[in-house]
Amino acid sequence: MRLAAAARGAIPAELGELASPQWIGRALLVIGGAIVLTYPLISDDLFYQNLIILSLLFAIGAVGLNVIMGWGGYISLGQSSFIGLGAYTVGILATRLGGSPFVWLPAAGLVAAMFALVLGAVATRLRGHSFVIATIAALFLLQIVATNWRGFTHGTTGITLPIPQWDVAYQNWPFYYSLLGLLVLALLVSWRIRKTKFGTGLVAIREDEDKAATVGIDTPVYKSLGFALSAVFLGMAGGVYGYYLTFLDPNGMFDIVLSVQIVLAVILGGRGTIWGPVLGAFLIEGINELANQQLGGGNSRLLIFGGLLALSILLLPKGIIPSIEDLWKRRRTEGAAALVGARLNGAPAHAGDGGASPAPRTGSPLLEVRGLQKRFGGVHAVDGLSFAVEEGSITALIGPNGSGKTTAFNLIGGTMSADGGEVWLDGRRIDRLPPWRRAYLGLGRTFQITRLFGQMTVLENVVSPLRSFSVAQLNAGAMSGPEANRAEELLEFVGMREFRDQRAAELSFGQQKLVEFAQVLMLDPKLIMLDEPGGGINPTLVARIAEMIRDLNRRGTTFLIVEHNLPLVLTLCDPVLVLASGRCISSGTPGKIQKDPLVLDAYLGEDFKLEEPVGAH
Amino acid sequence: MTELIQTIAFGLLVGGVYALLASGLTLIFGVMNVINIAHGAFLILAAFLTFTLWSALGIDPLAAIVITTPAMLAFGWLVYVLTVRPIRRAPPSSSVLLTFGLALVLEAMMGLIWGNQSHAARPSYFTESFHISGIVLPKGQVYACALAAVVLACLWLFLARSWTGRAIRAAAVNPSGAELVGIDIVRVSALTFAIGVGTVGAGGALVSVLYPFLPGSHYIWIARLLGIIVLGGMGSLRGALIGALLLGLAETFTQTYVSAQWATAVPYAVIFIVLLVRPHGIVGMRLREDVAA
Repeated sequence: MRLAAAARGAIPAELGELASPQWIGRALLVIGGAIVLTYPLISDDLFYQNLIILSLLFAIGAVGLNVIMGWGGYISLGQSSFIGLGAYTVGILATRLGGSPFVWLPAAGLVAAMFALVLGAVATRLRGHSFVIATIAALFLLQIVATNWRGFTHGTTGITLPIPQWDVAYQNWPFYYSLLGLLVLALLVSWRIRKTKFGTGLVAIREDEDKAATVGIDTPVYKSLGFALSAVFLGMAGGVYGYYLTFLDPNGMFDIVLSVQIVLAVILGGRGTIWGPVLGAFLIEGINELANQQLGGGNSRLLIFGGLLALSILLLPKGIIPSIEDLWKRRRTEGAAALVGARLNGAPAHAGDGGASPAPRTGSPLLEVRGLQKRFGGVHAVDGLSFAVEEGSITALIGPNGSGKTTAFNLIGGTMSADGGEVWLDGRRIDRLPPWRRAYLGLGRTFQITRLFGQMTVLENVVSPLRSFSVAQLNAGAMSGPEANRAEELLEFVGMREFRDQRAAELSFGQQKLVEFAQVLMLDPKLIMLDEPGGGINPTLVARIAEMIRDLNRRGTTFLIVEHNLPLVLTLCDPVLVLASGRCISSGTPGKIQKDPLVLDAYLGEDFKLEEPVGAH
Repeated sequence: MTELIQTIAFGLLVGGVYALLASGLTLIFGVMNVINIAHGAFLILAAFLTFTLWSALGIDPLAAIVITTPAMLAFGWLVYVLTVRPIRRAPPSSSVLLTFGLALVLEAMMGLIWGNQSHAARPSYFTESFHISGIVLPKGQVYACALAAVVLACLWLFLARSWTGRAIRAAAVNPSGAELVGIDIVRVSALTFAIGVGTVGAGGALVSVLYPFLPGSHYIWIARLLGIIVLGGMGSLRGALIGALLLGLAETFTQTYVSAQWATAVPYAVIFIVLLVRPHGIVGMRLREDVAA
């Protein structure tokens, strides 16, 4: 019974966002919190104290893992490395140098975080699968090192640690409360991360890592930092855990089953929620004790956790808390009309100083591409492409399918690296820079098929870009404060403000285009590259996007646009560049392009005639 | 000099067996983009099956592959249908966790059935060796390597020559394209998973003779096999062959010239170094996820 109460203590505050069950969640949280806080004072039952102590250890691990796995989308099966590293660090330092083991906890956290940073640095080039493999390999490698490096760790003989010196009346209180303190710290950090731009950046990486890089998110730094944060508190908890067990050996400390339990706690409770990992941890430790006490541990315990892992992936992939939330949301919104299908308002709400004249064209090139090359196997997608985009212009890039337009965008934006050639932006060579550095220098782009972060809300999507990199930026609040206000203004500008709390994946294609446009504007770019802004959407919306482009251009933004809607191109853009077979075959005013025999042959066709301008009035 | 040649010869014999074991893992990854963490557990299961056939019925452990291979093939098909197929549209990381869960379940089942102590099949020729001008080659190792080569050759012929084999290769290169030309991806995946598990059915028979094993041995085996396919390039059969020979050599060299205990660290070290220096391995293409859209 008391076990159940302890487990219930972890029930979600996330539910609080949904009006009615808010109080249930909070009440359960307060009750559970109070029980965990006072338990050793009101009861001297060591069995349940032990149960809560181990639950706290798992909870610290799970809350940490949630940062990199729930938000960043990277699964680590090597979390028990940090328990082992922390335990050995504290054990070795305290037995050799003396002092209370608790004094050495920061060192344990530091060692764990450093190891995570190193592993994270190795893993910056890895995606999905490879990252998991690397974390498993790291765990086993540490185990082997701890086994073989006898002089330091006593190998499989292990290190026996002294029994605590305090009065027996205090039982395990110091272990209990230090772990509770660490859990509170881990939860505070986790809660803070979710509110900052660092948190939205991590979620952006989970949703679409390449896209995240183009909106200024320094993905290696985010991943390494997220991984280090997932390790630091667990390392300290490992230090406490070692002394609690009073014995360290490689197999017990670097135990893969501990890793599995931590992963399982996150999955079962709910990835990406604040309280889910805590709930999961208490559940897992409850099951763990049950298996050990009732079923003799060993193989049955393994069977239960292996089976639970497989079954939760098959049957409850979202976890308990998100599933309850979904259920509740579905019940509440039953019958209500969805906002997603609603018609958009006519003109942009914020048309700006419409009468102003076009931006002054300085005549100097903002973007210069020189001899760009990209091969895919034997195909020369981009073959010595050179062109310049004049500052203040709306330049079009047209050409038949397969002429290399999108590849050129990918090379300029940094999503792909070129085989040769140079790209200059505003007098700086950028072709060797990663995408986020190009974004800081003022380059923004959209994608042909929109690539929003599907599980994030519209507002989160728009707020996620970073204009520069600094610790202050990482710690900046995402959902309130100046960043959020600016994002709301931009949503207002594209006419999508009322959709701010919708999930991006629920929007129509046209709506996604508008949101992606607002997202790019958040970067404050000098040059915006649009990949088919008019593709796949209705004429009214095309006209509206064209109006927004003109409006922004009047205020000084330069555009480079890939587009197949010729009437739109010819009325909106000047100059027009024509690509064929990865090269620029012609450029000039729309009037000149229409008459160029080369262009007529390669793209427009002999009978091309601009009859009526559609989508531009 | 003799020691060097001895080490190389032994490394290649070991590597030949590794190649068979890794072939199924790389095939499954290539076609389904699933890293089957349970591969090592399937291998140990086949080893236990072989052990039982040998100790209870007196069947020669190496000859047992004619039973273990089809048995594991059928078991692999069943596991695919029951567990892997339902999550084929889930994010790739789900399959890693799922197969990891399967590995733990298999480990526990083997512990419950056969116990957690070390087993080994020891046929009469186990202690005998071929002696060729001062170089000693254990008979068991030579037979196992030869058998592995035969099974691999059959697999190779099947993939290269048969219609079904071509369908599997087509699915590996471009799943949606293969679907467009009439290949049923789900059936091909089921078949691939079954064949992949079938190869460790054969491999398990060899392992039961060459290495003592217990249920928990699957960790070191999956680490070795992952090391091999990461080194060779994930998804490539040719890469797995090269990777297996290299890893076999690396292990025997560490064993001979450093120490036996550090030889177990070689696969993990290989994984790290390869992922750091050349994430796409020796002959592999870059992982599909690395390609920008």
